[in-house]
Amino acid sequence: MAETFGISEKTGDGVSVVSATGEIDIATAPPLRRQLEASIDRGPAVVVVDLLGVTFMDSTALGVLVGALKRTRAAGGALRIVVSDTRVLKVFEITGLTEVFSIFATVEDAVRG
Amino acid sequence: MIDRIELSLPASAELLVLARLTAATVASRAGFDVEEVEDLRLAVDELCISMVEEGAGGRLRIEFVRDAGLIEVSCGHEPEPGGAGSVTGDPTLRDLSARILDALVDEHGRDTRGGQKRAWLRKQRARQEA
Repeated sequence: MAETFGISEKTGDGVSVVSATGEIDIATAPPLRRQLEASIDRGPAVVVVDLLGVTFMDSTALGVLVGALKRTRAAGGALRIVVSDTRVLKVFEITGLTEVFSIFATVEDAVRG
Repeated sequence: MIDRIELSLPASAELLVLARLTAATVASRAGFDVEEVEDLRLAVDELCISMVEEGAGGRLRIEFVRDAGLIEVSCGHEPEPGGAGSVTGDPTLRDLSARILDALVDEHGRDTRGGQKRAWLRKQRARQEA
C-alpha cells in the first residue's frame, strides 16, 4: 500500500524547509506546487525541498520542482533538494536534472549549503 | 504463454495508482527483478500521464500483455461522448516524460486509432529464464 501523501513546512533564519512524504504523481503534484509557491513568495533566502519521505515521483513532480526553481531564482533565492532514496534519485539522474538542481543527502547539509 | 490484462478506468489522476499497482504485479509475475519492476511502474505511470488531463474526462483503457520475458503496455484515452475528447500536455512535462521512458523501456510511442489517442511501451526482462 502506498504511503499517504503529505506536506509540511518549517521556517526560520531565512530558510524554509518544505517536506513531502508518500507518492508525488499527477494527483498529488498540484498541492505540492501550491505549497512551494506560497513558501517561495514569502521570500526566504533558501527553500529546501525535503524528499526524504517520498517513495515515488514522476515527471509531474519534476515539473513542479523545475517551476519552483525558476520561481525561487526570479525572487533572488536558492532552492535545494534533499533526496536519499535511490529510486527517487534515479528520476533526477535519467532526466539530467542532477545537473540543474543542488541535491543534498540530508536536510542539515541542504540548509548549510 | 501469453497473459493479457485489461484495465478500464475513469481518466482521473487519483486512479493512476491502480495502473502502477497492476504494472508492478504484472512485472513481478513475469520474473522481472526489483529494479525492473520499479522501472515499469514508473514507465506505465508516465505512459498514462499523457492520457490524463484533469478535466478531460472519458476513460483510460490500459492493456498489459506478457509474452515470456516481454511486457507490452498500451494506454488509450476514450473521450466522453460529446466531450472535448482532446488531450494536450505541457511541452516541458512531455519532454521530461519522454526522457524517463527513453531510459526505462526498450521502445515506446504514441499513435491514434479510430480517433482515439494511445501511448504504448515494450520492456524486455534483462534476466533470461534458466
